[in-house]
Amino acid sequence: MKDRCAEGLSSMDDAIVVTGTGMVCSLGQSPSEVWDALLAGKTGIHPIRSFDARGFGCRAAAQAHALSPAPSGIQPKLARMMDKHLPMLLLAATNAHSMCGISQSTVPPGQIGFFAGMGMVDYEIEDLILAVLKSSDPTGSLDYDLFFADGYQEIYPLWPLAMLNNVAFCQVAINLDIRGENAVFSPHADSGVRAVAEGVKTLLADKARVVLAGGVSEKASPSSMARGHHFGILNVSAAPGRASLCRPFSAERTGTIPGEGSGVVLMERASSAAARQAVPLAAISGFGSACEREAESFAPTAAAIASAMTAALDRAAVKPSEVGAVIAHGDGTLAGDKNEIEAICRVFSDTVESIGVFSSKGALGHMLAGSPAVDLILAIEMLKRGEIPPTLGAHPLDSNARFRVASDRPLPLGPKRILINSSSCEGQCASLLVEAAP
Amino acid sequence: MSSNDSMRVEGRNARSEQNPRRRVVVTGAGMVTPLGGNCRETFDKAVNGVSGIDYVKSFETAGLPCRIGGEVDDRCLEDFPDSGIQGIEKYSSRGLKLMRAATVEAARQARLEELPDRRRIGVSLGYHAENPSVSEMMLLHRFYDGNGHWDMKSLKERGSYPCFSFFRRKPDVATSLLSVFFDCRGSNLTVVSACAAGAQAIGEAFRMIREGRTDAMIAGGCEAPLNFAGFVGFALIRALSEKYAAPSKASRPFDRKRNGFVMAEGAGALILEELGCARARNAPILGEILGYGASADAYRITDVHPKGEGAVLAIRRALEDASLAPEDIQYINAHGTSTVQNDISETVAIKRVFGERAGKIPVSSNKSMIGHAIAAAGAIESILTLMGIQNGIILPTINHELRDPKCDLDYVPNEARVQRHRIAMSNSFGFGGQNACLCIGEYDGS
Repeated sequence: MKDRCAEGLSSMDDAIVVTGTGMVCSLGQSPSEVWDALLAGKTGIHPIRSFDARGFGCRAAAQAHALSPAPSGIQPKLARMMDKHLPMLLLAATNAHSMCGISQSTVPPGQIGFFAGMGMVDYEIEDLILAVLKSSDPTGSLDYDLFFADGYQEIYPLWPLAMLNNVAFCQVAINLDIRGENAVFSPHADSGVRAVAEGVKTLLADKARVVLAGGVSEKASPSSMARGHHFGILNVSAAPGRASLCRPFSAERTGTIPGEGSGVVLMERASSAAARQAVPLAAISGFGSACEREAESFAPTAAAIASAMTAALDRAAVKPSEVGAVIAHGDGTLAGDKNEIEAICRVFSDTVESIGVFSSKGALGHMLAGSPAVDLILAIEMLKRGEIPPTLGAHPLDSNARFRVASDRPLPLGPKRILINSSSCEGQCASLLVEAAP
Repeated sequence: MSSNDSMRVEGRNARSEQNPRRRVVVTGAGMVTPLGGNCRETFDKAVNGVSGIDYVKSFETAGLPCRIGGEVDDRCLEDFPDSGIQGIEKYSSRGLKLMRAATVEAARQARLEELPDRRRIGVSLGYHAENPSVSEMMLLHRFYDGNGHWDMKSLKERGSYPCFSFFRRKPDVATSLLSVFFDCRGSNLTVVSACAAGAQAIGEAFRMIREGRTDAMIAGGCEAPLNFAGFVGFALIRALSEKYAAPSKASRPFDRKRNGFVMAEGAGALILEELGCARARNAPILGEILGYGASADAYRITDVHPKGEGAVLAIRRALEDASLAPEDIQYINAHGTSTVQNDISETVAIKRVFGERAGKIPVSSNKSMIGHAIAAAGAIESILTLMGIQNGIILPTINHELRDPKCDLDYVPNEARVQRHRIAMSNSFGFGGQNACLCIGEYDGS
């Protein structure tokens, strides 16, 4: 599976560095806040209160709170249409943008790139139900005469925009006056890594001076919960002590739990950061991706995950022994974790017993396209603090997991390089390599 | 070359003469459109100015202010039985079925199966997946009391909800299934930037090959929005054409009486390949992707920038990426949606980039015949642009009858033009403000 051609995401004489970060998730809205919560063993996963989830097997989620539903400067009717996507992505992007200290005089809007993985958008039943009820004939079918005579007036006029994944992205571009190279990918975790990788490539090709890249999860809603149930990835265990838990790599794992959140990083060339006297927080040094899905589970195969990890290492010319930790996709699903365990063991081979592995999903849930950038920001914290935080719910570990996973105390981080894995539910997988800033 | 050497090469200015970039050629193309089930049929009808727009038959439109669209004849899909992939049919959205048909044509032409290392072939797809059907919405509504309470237990017990609709609703399922159908195990990405998605998917794939990340990609877009949820919203915001003497007359880009776009379905697939790889196996080379540029308007969600700021930036970036000057462009395949706003701002953008020469460059919109197939539009139009270069024909903008003083370029009105041209560009501007532009050229044999 190893790619033959080195991609070369960066060279250390002018690396691509992160100079701004922004995040929002169930445990907070700053890296230090979330870090402290992880070390304290806190979880963001709680019973769902935003809608009646009693009918679902999984009734918990790691929901993001304390978000303004109508951010300033945005028309309320537009904000309503973009729902939770907008405040999450906007907050993360705005914080990353403001942290790095760029202004229109230093970086023109056309030189700011923007790439994001966007979680699924779903229509809200409330948006349509009155129109449908008003337009139903006695047999329960839709009567178009009734619909256009009266029913349609119950539909919010901008409702069709709510079905487009890119609208919140475009609104953030408007708010921050970003006009450069861009793309949006959807909807799983691999799309979040793709966004960061495309941002790096854009910088290396001199097509932007700075790039914002990251992703946002989908909103925990009846539609998203139903989708997760039908994919068979959610924890539907009702056993005492097991419900409402996401247990990455645990021998007792029974599925994942949805999470809400967003992460965005601002990246630029190291020389650009130095010229602006911006502090580089970390360097992105490798990227790899592959696609091969397992026939039964649709999860990426172990071979595909290993291929993506190896490609990221190869492209940075880094040996597995020079990596200090893996932030795993680790979503707590039976098949997904099994394949990732096998992939990590395969890639790290003889040194696997010394490699530290962390998964944020035990505490933050599965943020899909939002996960990789949040993990990247946590990786920066790990590099800064020299520690690997505990993975909530991981112990007792799966007997095949021969790597180290912190349970209640952080592990020391060895070499200052961290590999970040991500997977979709459809066979796609991608990895990023991040290291201490030069 | 070691990884380190390669890494430094990539880190340098990509236009370095010492390290020429890998070239990306098109070795296969396929499409299904309202005009036909393949490239040749679509192109030939377009040459003759045939419209593919008619009254919508796939769902009831009585009472709607717009009742027309560009539908694909289902017979185009019947040639592709699901042999060997039983069970996948139920996961397949209509958009994916259209894309599969288009990709079969493209892969056959490129002899894609010849490429030995399937890990070096990826898929880049622009697609927004399937909308929920009315029956699904009706069914779900019966289990919701309107006050936040769901009776999911009853819904599950009833067992009548089509659970596979969840898969069809997810865009990356289509991308993943395409990789299964055509055994492509490399990079796999799904682009969701509205009307720019098809062009962006091609642009991203182009860059991945050029930068050495992969050798070949299936790239393109598909969309099947002609259903209640996909259609009625745009009817409600009055974006669709409502005034037309006949369906075939409704899509009239740049014409003074244009009054909205006409929604269409379709798919376009290209096989993009690194030049050396294509030559080594003596693959047919249809043309070359020369450059790609993207931008954001950062203006308003519901309006395009009146001065075409984002469009100008995307066009200039594509030219720069292709190392071309504005004088090199001999034809522009316009986004040309037939909305009042778009056609003016696109005209303004073209004038700003090409200056006095703007009026001398033929500019035409395929949407006048095909309608607007959203994520598929950029892919279909890129292929038609390429075929125009190959055949020395510039496709017309039909229904161009009344000149709009604000749209005063050469729109190739109503009749195709025999005119040799070697380099063209294709514009795609997405709802919300994402813009993409591709530069496409004749393969010069070098």
